Amino acid sequence: MIQFINVKKTYPGNVHALKGINLTIEPGEFVAIIGLSGAGKSTLLRSINQMHTITDGQLLVNGLDVTKLKGKELRQFRRHIGMVFQSFNLVKRTTVIKNVLAARVAEMPMWSSLLGLYAKKDKIKALEALDQVGILEKAYVRADQLSGGQQQRVALARCLAQDPQIILADEPVASLDPLTSQTVMQDFVRINKSLGITVIANMHHVDIATKYASRIIGIKAGEIVFDGPSSTLTHDDLTNIYGRELSKDDIKGDM
Amino acid sequence: MNWLKELIHPSPILLGNGKSIQPKRSPSVIIVPIVIFLVLGSAIITEVDLVALFKRGYQFFVMIVRMIPPNWSYYKNVITPLIATIMMSVIGTLLGAILSLPLAFLSANNIIKNKWFLNINRGAFSIFRTLPVLVYALVFRFIFGPGAFAGTLAIGLFTWTIMTKMLYELIETVDMGPFEAIESSGASRLKAFRVAIIPQILGQYISMMLYNFEMNVRSAAILGYVGAGGIGMLMNEKLALREYDKLGLILLFLLLTVYIIESVSRLIRERLN
Repeated sequence: MIQFINVKKTYPGNVHALKGINLTIEPGEFVAIIGLSGAGKSTLLRSINQMHTITDGQLLVNGLDVTKLKGKELRQFRRHIGMVFQSFNLVKRTTVIKNVLAARVAEMPMWSSLLGLYAKKDKIKALEALDQVGILEKAYVRADQLSGGQQQRVALARCLAQDPQIILADEPVASLDPLTSQTVMQDFVRINKSLGITVIANMHHVDIATKYASRIIGIKAGEIVFDGPSSTLTHDDLTNIYGRELSKDDIKGDM
Repeated sequence: MNWLKELIHPSPILLGNGKSIQPKRSPSVIIVPIVIFLVLGSAIITEVDLVALFKRGYQFFVMIVRMIPPNWSYYKNVITPLIATIMMSVIGTLLGAILSLPLAFLSANNIIKNKWFLNINRGAFSIFRTLPVLVYALVFRFIFGPGAFAGTLAIGLFTWTIMTKMLYELIETVDMGPFEAIESSGASRLKAFRVAIIPQILGQYISMMLYNFEMNVRSAAILGYVGAGGIGMLMNEKLALREYDKLGLILLFLLLTVYIIESVSRLIRERLN
């Protein structure tokens, strides 16, 4: 369970990115966070694994106040939280399996990480993760040979190799074409349902968000202005979140 | 003198429709006189003597003619110091290249966020970098006695300083996305560097190593002049004894070696890039 208790984030220059967020996310939920660029979506997401620190308030993950974590404790905590990015963030010059194995080094001894010596169980875990997202046969291909959708699946497999309880996805389909976006989102749903992993995703496209996530959180200027099941999100809510009427062009085509 | 006035105070350009625009004065009005001044000044300080160049310059060719034909039977004496010269460069380059990796990690501003640590680290190393390899060779010869060991250490230390700078500048240009991803999975920055950044720089790192090796073979050839081993010692001796035919063979071997090493290195580097 993730609990935000009056979480605030102020950047230097008195920029308030988060203005007292109160939020509870239960295990196994699939949450999409929507809102304009700069509304605070990314800050909110990255505060959960403390890739961004917060300035005020409490942030509890499974009862643990993560804002107090430092050094080794923080790294220990992050092992159970996977992260997926808009630009995939793979090492393009190396193979797919090496990219997935990279998620295993956190748990490995320093010397074997530095020498790049992976145990057989780690390799099997990486290959199983690739199999779960349906690209096992690409394991020994260089990452830059893959399409965008396949690269994002590798990134997802990299998360799974961590045995995560939570996956944070920062605009996971924003750089993919509409068709590929749908298939990648289906992967997220499958993983959420079959493995019970909590998925929290920042989404650019409202229609994709409502189609795949079960809960929508709308953020506007650092505040939550909508929180509820995706089925209850109305046209008026969207106008409120985005501060104006959404035109057909803003919504990424009905598939 | 109209053109001079135009240079310093360009007159406005008039367009057909009556509009006019004031061109900017060319910066060369200032730069060209400064360059001329610097060149002339340097020539005076370094005592450039054109008369001597004309009168004695031909001696260079006289020396080359005396080296021809080279004394082929002397090759047995050349091979060993030549191999020693190459080995000095191989070991020195490897030593410097390996040591540069951890130091570059500690000097890259996208890895180390502590500005104080970074600046002290870089500052200390940039002092080392100001020293030429010959100075290191002189110092090490003094400490360890004459021979190839002093030369190898000199090359190693020199390569270390150069490659550290080249490497941290390279590290600062990599894609930090994968690093962020691995850090978010709970890995330490050192581990994240190993799996997310090393694969990105590996090709260029090896290419850098080869490039430094090329340079080091050339400088290893003259390290012998300060008694730090290698073929330079032999060259110095033959020049002093005026045994030009033997000197000719040494130079020919050196020329061939450097040419072969550079060609192979270029081939590999082209493959890597």
